[in-house]
Amino acid sequence: MAQYLTLEFIAMLTGFILIIIGLWGMITQKNLIKLVIGFSLFDTGLNIVIVSMAYVKNSTAPIIDKAVDVSQAASKIADPVPQALVLTSIVIGLGVTALMLAYVLRMYREKKSLDINSYTDLRW
Amino acid sequence: MEFGIKQILYLLLTLFIVLNYGLILQGIMPKIAARVGRRYGIRWYQPYLDLIKNHAKRSKITHGVMYYLGPVFRLTGGIGLLLFLPVIYGSPVFGNLSFAGDLTLVLFFQFFGVLGMALGAGESGHPHSAIGVSRGLSQVTALELPLTLGVISIAMQYHTLNISDIVAAQQGGVMNWTIVTNPFAGAALMLTFLGSMGRAPFDVVMAPQEIPIGPPTEYHSGFLGVLQLNRAIFPVAKLILFMNLLYGGATSWPELFIKTFFIYLWSVFVGVAFPRFRVDQSVRWFLGVPLLFGIIAILLI
Amino acid sequence: MVNPIHIVSIALGVAFALGFLGKREKLALGIVYTALAVMLAISASWLSHFWGNVTEPIQIFTGGFKPPFAINLQMGLAESVFTLLINTAGLLGAIYLANELLKAGKNMMIVFLVLVLGLNVMVMTRDLFNLFVFMEIQSIAIAGLVILNPDRKSIPAGFKYVIATGLISSLLLLGTVFIYYFGGTLNIDFISQESLLYVKGGSVAIFLVLLSIVLELKPFPANGWALDVYEGAHPGIGALISAASATAGVFVLDKLMVFGNFTFFNAISIIGAITFLGSNLLGIKQDNTRRLLGYSSVGQIGLIMTIIGLKPYLGENTKFIALAILLSHYLAKAGLFWLAGMVNADKLKDWGAIRGHRIYLFLMGTFIFTLVGFPPFPSFFGKWQLVMQLANNHHFWLLAIILIGSFFEGVYLFRWLGYAIKWDEVEQNYPKIKLNQFIPTVIFAVLAYALGFYFGELSGYKSTFIYMAAAFIAFLYIFDFLPVFVKNTLAIGAMALYYFANQDTFHGLTSIFFIIFVIGGIITLLAGYTFKGKRTGFYPLVMMMFAGLIGLLEAKTTLEFFFAWELMTAGSYFLIIRGKKSMEHALSYILFSVGGAYLILSGFGIAQIGHTGMGLDVLKDVHYYAPIAFTLMAIGFMTKLASIGLHIWLPGAHAEAEADVSPMVSAILLKAGILGLVMLFLSMGPQKLFGIDVLYVLSWVGVLTALMGNMMAAFQEDAKRLLAYSSIGVLGYALFGLTMMSHLGWLASLSIVVTHFMFKSLLFLAIGGVVMRTKTKYMYQMGGLIKQMPFSFVSVLIGIIVIAGLPPLTGFGGKWLMFNAIMENGWYFQAGIAFFAGVISFLYCFRLIHTIFLGQPKDELRNVKEAPFWMLVPQYIIITILLVLSALPNSMLKPIGQILLNYFPDGALVWHGQLAIGPYGYWNGKLILAIVTIIFLAVFAWLYIINRKAQKVKQFNIVYAAERPFRPETTHFAYNFYAPYQKALGFLVAPGITNFWDAVSDGAHAIADKIRSIYNGNGQTYLAHILGFTVIVYILMNGGF
Repeated sequence: MAQYLTLEFIAMLTGFILIIIGLWGMITQKNLIKLVIGFSLFDTGLNIVIVSMAYVKNSTAPIIDKAVDVSQAASKIADPVPQALVLTSIVIGLGVTALMLAYVLRMYREKKSLDINSYTDLRW
Repeated sequence: MEFGIKQILYLLLTLFIVLNYGLILQGIMPKIAARVGRRYGIRWYQPYLDLIKNHAKRSKITHGVMYYLGPVFRLTGGIGLLLFLPVIYGSPVFGNLSFAGDLTLVLFFQFFGVLGMALGAGESGHPHSAIGVSRGLSQVTALELPLTLGVISIAMQYHTLNISDIVAAQQGGVMNWTIVTNPFAGAALMLTFLGSMGRAPFDVVMAPQEIPIGPPTEYHSGFLGVLQLNRAIFPVAKLILFMNLLYGGATSWPELFIKTFFIYLWSVFVGVAFPRFRVDQSVRWFLGVPLLFGIIAILLI
Repeated sequence: MVNPIHIVSIALGVAFALGFLGKREKLALGIVYTALAVMLAISASWLSHFWGNVTEPIQIFTGGFKPPFAINLQMGLAESVFTLLINTAGLLGAIYLANELLKAGKNMMIVFLVLVLGLNVMVMTRDLFNLFVFMEIQSIAIAGLVILNPDRKSIPAGFKYVIATGLISSLLLLGTVFIYYFGGTLNIDFISQESLLYVKGGSVAIFLVLLSIVLELKPFPANGWALDVYEGAHPGIGALISAASATAGVFVLDKLMVFGNFTFFNAISIIGAITFLGSNLLGIKQDNTRRLLGYSSVGQIGLIMTIIGLKPYLGENTKFIALAILLSHYLAKAGLFWLAGMVNADKLKDWGAIRGHRIYLFLMGTFIFTLVGFPPFPSFFGKWQLVMQLANNHHFWLLAIILIGSFFEGVYLFRWLGYAIKWDEVEQNYPKIKLNQFIPTVIFAVLAYALGFYFGELSGYKSTFIYMAAAFIAFLYIFDFLPVFVKNTLAIGAMALYYFANQDTFHGLTSIFFIIFVIGGIITLLAGYTFKGKRTGFYPLVMMMFAGLIGLLEAKTTLEFFFAWELMTAGSYFLIIRGKKSMEHALSYILFSVGGAYLILSGFGIAQIGHTGMGLDVLKDVHYYAPIAFTLMAIGFMTKLASIGLHIWLPGAHAEAEADVSPMVSAILLKAGILGLVMLFLSMGPQKLFGIDVLYVLSWVGVLTALMGNMMAAFQEDAKRLLAYSSIGVLGYALFGLTMMSHLGWLASLSIVVTHFMFKSLLFLAIGGVVMRTKTKYMYQMGGLIKQMPFSFVSVLIGIIVIAGLPPLTGFGGKWLMFNAIMENGWYFQAGIAFFAGVISFLYCFRLIHTIFLGQPKDELRNVKEAPFWMLVPQYIIITILLVLSALPNSMLKPIGQILLNYFPDGALVWHGQLAIGPYGYWNGKLILAIVTIIFLAVFAWLYIINRKAQKVKQFNIVYAAERPFRPETTHFAYNFYAPYQKALGFLVAPGITNFWDAVSDGAHAIADKIRSIYNGNGQTYLAHILGFTVIVYILMNGGF
């Protein structure tokens, strides 16, 4: 049990739980705003998972200077790539969420309803 | 084969004999039928009188070209059918024109006159003519299936479609006749024969007893005369065909007269004994028992 | 060479710069166009660089590091092709959307540029995360385009699109980071070298990545979101999604498949096949244009997925097949979406508004035939190659699924096309041609032809004849404004020229068909002089049909044969649909034809397994499954022959066609089926399928066809339908004759084929002339026309005597031969039925001539004139030939017999002059004709002597119980002429087969309707579909978690 009680594992687990909650929200919540929140949770969970992967215990920031020698870099520093990725991912998530909200706004203006069931004109 | 004036004379002789024989049959058969019904019936020479009367009529009308040609087609069909048959087996002269075609030709040439006549009758514009044609054609098509099966059975039995060869194979006594050697084909043929003779129970086409109906409704005078000639020749030609196929043919005219008389009598016999079918009934009947016989005949080859 | 990175930099730069332009929208648009054009030029220049050179793709390193430390882009042949496609669609799409872009302003232009940019990078990038980013960018861009140009219902559709693609991208991201986690790199080329699949987590990661790409490609059934956006968005945007975005997606899938193993390839191909089948099945229930196009898009992409999944089997051919199908999809789908935007008709039936508009219909026809895979378009060659390869790899189930799916696609596309050509319950309303929308569409249509030519070259298709014919057809299309007289003369001249140039080329059996097709074509074309004016569009189509027919004769390979077959089908389809009420009949014609063609195609496919060449002689030596190939092809050819069970398309199609088209399609076109069977039977000989002799079964099919065809003909009230059914019957005989596989059987069959050509053109022309004059096809409305139309009467008279097979005319020869052949062969029961059927033909023959020409003339038809002169000319040419052949039967039968000696040396007829001696009987046609004529003349003379003074009387002067008939209508015994017969045997012709096909069709529609209810329009359901799809595919691929 003890080996699971590491920081990175808990972080990753939290991330996945958030992903599941987000998915659950996206699939069950009829309110458009809640649906978008579900997506946002999903996204956040995903980002946490990414960050958690990069964590290396007792390591420092991935900056090669006096603190970390080039030769030891691989073992001493946290992996910089996921951190770079997560930045991009957050930005994209933000964009998507904003777009979704923009859509929700337009839809609400049209029908004055936030229930997803009101927007099934196109089907079959 | 040489073909000269002599052959033409023999053709005409055949025609003449068959015509008279046909006319006499036309007189005798109704008389027999009448006697069965306890009536006196017509005189045996009545058809001759009718023929003369029709040719002598002075009021003649025509409805158009096809109407005019209808009887011509009809009689051409009758004469042609007769002449395409070998009438007397073994006789080079009364083999007539059978060298032009075989059994297939005879079977199909039957319809030449029928169709032409139907067209002529059609132009008269009389609905009864058209009704008659509709009924006649319906019946004829239905009996074709058992007939074909029977004919194929016989042709396969003798491995030929040449009528003379079929007759030749039956020589040498009654036991060699097809009706004995291939009874099912014979039965199928004899039953379809009933239909083609236009007597009861298959006489609704002409309905001779009631108001005039059938293709000849509008025909009169000389037209009817020509049709009457055909009515004498055509049945005899058919009788000869059946005689050739089933009863060993004939080696002389008397033999032909006797055999064909009895074949004809068969249709009269059935005719007086049974009431009339409606067309839909007769169509179904032909596709019943006769067809069954035809199928058995094929299976037994 | 310009560095491909500038595609990115230009797009980004311009997108940023647009912000500084203020309100100058037009200038902005100009800059956007310039940018897109430059991007296009860059990819084009790279394509020309790689074209034909075996050069390694070049790598572009960003940030100055080599991978895996930096993102790199790749530009090779494939990338240059795909970016070219994307940029072309981008530029033309932007031009198409000019008004929308101007209206929505710079923001939309920026989004548009970003979309094209995203697609370009998707193609070029070699970095997985970068790929994710740009896929997300293109999704956002599409959603942005939708929201910036709101249509009535596009907003909810766009929302569904955003949440669905959001979820899919998240899955992709999840997979990507885990690939990095397990593999330590994001570079595609490096990842593929890692053995990630052996690590549990790694394989899940790869699964997530590949599956999210698949999900982006809208697999069935997790694609409701895509369908909604296709339906809701502006067609110009739909075109981009379908053409550009899907193209990029396909490329990405292909690029990433290096991660997968065999299981993944199989899974992809199965998912693709199910998508193709499912979407096309659901498509048949659609009546909304754009949604229909959505279904079709999804289906086509599914097909391409299948092809990518089949890569391990297809090997080198994958590129050709996938590109051919993808390009066809790309051109046709963009074209159709653009057309949909121009015509602006929501419901399929509303497309009737453009009926009669040559240019719109030309474009639409081009795109639809491209999609369905008709020649000369690339998809034809792609599908051909695909079927051949599938057969080679024994993937028969997949083959069946793909062909069935294609068939469903044909159902809805041709129905739609039919509405556009013919539906006349909406008002004609030609949309004004806007050049900015029109030109891109035309460019794509032209490209479809050009690429078709190119792909034809690639697959080794070269038929000089077809190219010449195509040139002539194009010529006729361009010079369609000429009067009929000129065009008809040109057409006849071309046929005659072809005849004289090639009369010695064809030997053996093909020479018979050569004569029927070419001489027959010329004779029937003569009737065309009847028509006045321009007869718009007629001549290119006629020539297309004849080119196809002759192409069948010219064909040396199976590909050429099939090409010609489809060309003929297309031409005849358009000819048939020209008829007044022929929309639905043309549809059922083309569907049966397409179905039959697919059977033939799969037959060819099976036949060539293990062969390297494609020559027609592969049929002579089929290595595997010969009986199945034989049966498939036989059924395929029998569809064209309208054998029983497959006949329901024929009566309507032939009856509703124009007066001179009916003889062409009935008397000439049907012979193509016979030609196919002749070729098939000769090459493959008798075959036993599961121990049953196929030919024996076909012999029953033949005679039953003859029986049913003739019987149904007897019960028709419509003269042309009667003739159509009669054709079914006669060809049933011909089929029966062929199945006997003996000299006499074939002689009988081929003589029937030749005479059928003559009497059926004769009758259809004569009846066509009558119908032209009386303006009705119902026989009971006519009557007594012999007086007004004596020449037509004689034609019909001769025609029916020949049909009925009565001596002395030539039809009897066929009967006589048939009798002899059957006796030899021993199929007595079939023989009985065949002759029964023969006699039933008397019924309809009599009815045809009596009801029209005899009986009581009607008041309203008293003044009709004889049929037009040019209708009579071909009839009397044919009558002359018929009479000559009747008198001299050996002039036809002897040469045919000579030809047959090569194939069936035994059992030939012996000829003594005109006397034919068979194994069982004999027949002297000349003598019979002479005898009958002499007797006839003698009897006529006799009657004339005794009756020469017969008085002509008027119509109602008949023996009518001393009454005058009330009116002709009540006196003309015509309607339901064979009522007793129908009562007795009518049950035989109860429309069982029609009902069967109706039930099949209704069933398919009902199933489609049921299945499509999963698309309930709720975005959440679509999300659930996506998740469910992911889970189910995972379970199926791994057999559990």
